Amino acid sequence: MREIVELSEKTITIDRNEFLKVKGSIDTNVYYVESGSLRVFVLDDFEEQIVRFGYKENLIVSLDSFLTGKPSDFFIQAIKKTVVQVITKQQIDSFLQKENNRILWVRILENLVLQQLEREVDILTNSPKERFHRILRRSPQLFQEIPNRYIANYLRMSPETLSRLKKS
Amino acid sequence: MQSEKLLQSFIEETRQLINQAEKLKTRDMDTLTWKGNPVSWNILECLEHLNLYGDFYLPQIEHKIRISRTKSDPDFNSGFLGSYFAKSMLPKEKLNKMKTFKDKNPLNEKLDKRVIDKFISQQIKLLDLLNQSRNVSLNRVKIEISIARFIKLKLGDTFQFFINHSIRHFRQIERIESEIVNQRQPLSV
Repeated sequence: MREIVELSEKTITIDRNEFLKVKGSIDTNVYYVESGSLRVFVLDDFEEQIVRFGYKENLIVSLDSFLTGKPSDFFIQAIKKTVVQVITKQQIDSFLQKENNRILWVRILENLVLQQLEREVDILTNSPKERFHRILRRSPQLFQEIPNRYIANYLRMSPETLSRLKKS
Repeated sequence: MQSEKLLQSFIEETRQLINQAEKLKTRDMDTLTWKGNPVSWNILECLEHLNLYGDFYLPQIEHKIRISRTKSDPDFNSGFLGSYFAKSMLPKEKLNKMKTFKDKNPLNEKLDKRVIDKFISQQIKLLDLLNQSRNVSLNRVKIEISIARFIKLKLGDTFQFFINHSIRHFRQIERIESEIVNQRQPLSV
């Protein structure tokens, strides 16, 4: 991943609650989180549903915009003051001219597909307790980086339920 | 101009307005209610003024989009009056004073931080409308303006006008903040 981050020539700092991306924008950048944390969410009729988090040393991207060049419904908002490095689609495209780099890129995407599968199973898991344990096993760091109310939203349960599960 | 490019620039300007409003939420009430003199606005009054505009325009835009039978146009051409009004809203180098209509003047109203929340939720609504407007014609959907119902602007011009008006008052807010800094730290000789 280092090779990709090194392509970046631009750093953006956003304060807590500020938006890196809003609904409807075409954002084909890949962001590398240097510090801080972000949440990716969708909003319908004023209800938010968190899709993904990004914290230190993660890549974050509106993959739909990145792949299609079309507008994306995702919002990306800083949970606390966050510094990201910007890697543009053009930079990645020219990086992928080399055979070796393409192999690396396919690995990253494969890894992402696996993560998405895990997430799909999360969402389809009925028991809140089981959803909680799946995430805890998979990304214990999440509980250190992200405030409870956001994790609860991500897990599709109330903050009260989450705090009860954390105590049990 | 390509409609999608125009919408992208509106969405980006709206994102920046939301971020500026989020910054204001972290200021204390002394800052938010400070005014240089009794007849000028404080920061909350600037925002409430924008909210009054939003209350007028956003429901109307939503309604006009909903009832429109137009289809999206690949290109948008600014109308004569539309581009005149939109440009007149943008602040010049040295901020030119403009008259405020009485029903949009929140001077000396009791306001609190909820004004900022309302502004942000209006901007989220605006994003929603910008997204919905992809399905209609930015040229043929017409919006009545607040100062004279008989003047109708193209939807694309109305968005530009509406956003420029917010940008204008955020410039005013920046100026108020710099006045506060100057006042709190008087230059010593």
